[in-house]
Amino acid sequence: MTALAVSNATLWIVVIGLCVALLAVVRQLGVLHERIAPVGALMLAKGLKVGESAPQVAAHDLEGRPITVGAERADGRATLIMFVSPTCPVCKTLLPVLKSSLASERDWLDIILASDGETAIQREFVQAQRLGGFPYIVSAPLGISYQVSRLPFAALIDAQGVLRARGIVNSREHLESLFEAKRLGFASIQDYFEAAAQTRAA
Amino acid sequence: MLDPAFGYLITAGIALLFASAGAHKLQDLDRFAEVFAAYRVLPAALARRLAWLIPSLELCVAASLIWELGRRMAVMAGIAILIAYAFGLGVNLLRGRRDLDCGCGMARDRRAIAGWMVWRNLILAGALGITVWPWSPRPFGWTDFLTVMGGLTAGVTLYAAVDRLLGDVAPKAMILRSTS
Repeated sequence: MTALAVSNATLWIVVIGLCVALLAVVRQLGVLHERIAPVGALMLAKGLKVGESAPQVAAHDLEGRPITVGAERADGRATLIMFVSPTCPVCKTLLPVLKSSLASERDWLDIILASDGETAIQREFVQAQRLGGFPYIVSAPLGISYQVSRLPFAALIDAQGVLRARGIVNSREHLESLFEAKRLGFASIQDYFEAAAQTRAA
Repeated sequence: MLDPAFGYLITAGIALLFASAGAHKLQDLDRFAEVFAAYRVLPAALARRLAWLIPSLELCVAASLIWELGRRMAVMAGIAILIAYAFGLGVNLLRGRRDLDCGCGMARDRRAIAGWMVWRNLILAGALGITVWPWSPRPFGWTDFLTVMGGLTAGVTLYAAVDRLLGDVAPKAMILRSTS
């Protein structure tokens, strides 16, 4: 009986040790993936090409003003289209960041919010989140032509109507990486690193 | 007849799970209210107003599971909650809303709903269902105490490992595969 109890206790210690080790390995695996995962707004492998002209979509904002997204602009300003939804919690956490970007990037950038769904719900959302400062477009074709698969999604278009950056945006860092990508002239941070590696190799 | 060591192991494990889930939701109730409304199983305004009810219910179940007299009720309530979650997840997966925030895990990380979560909840509900069986009236010795404590520690770490593997590592690996 004593031998059995001792054996049982020993086995428990070993089993718990193994479980702890397994947990540690899995955590490390997660950290490893984070390290090698793309930095900045996540660029999807498929879809629209950065550097090509963005699809032109004519739409109206909630106030009924006509807006042609993706058109060439005479005033030389770039446009950021941010796809959001009243039902996406992460979108809500990004709204203050967008408001501050609207102010800080004022001299070269216009920000347009875009969504899809019932207009009444969108109006309620705009009112509740105080988004009066942004043109707000409710249009399903817009989302389809920009191939928005997941929210919050952003697309940056320059004055010539060329798509400069696009991707899923989850945080302030992601949003700023889009601006950075435009400034540096690279489609994404990944492209930047690739180009840097190539010049080093040459 | 169910051996009491097994019974205590299952109820204590699930009580721990409910307690941590309820505590996490209460920590950031505003965020949970948004997440709960986004599930679209209740009208949005009602869901936001009733959001506090869910973590409170979870904490109640956790507390009564370890209490001898309240156990039967708590087991039933626990099974109902787990199946309700599985239902909410399943409905949204069928609606094709695979990017919906699951509202599980730590307050900070955002995780999309997935099919494995439905199965996890059903398995947990099934495990809890086992304890409805009559328990054998065997005296509870110190080796049983060892069994329950050891099983609980191993169970919690294994649960955390599997949760990380399916919820954190697997989606990241998928992103990596699709970008490279």
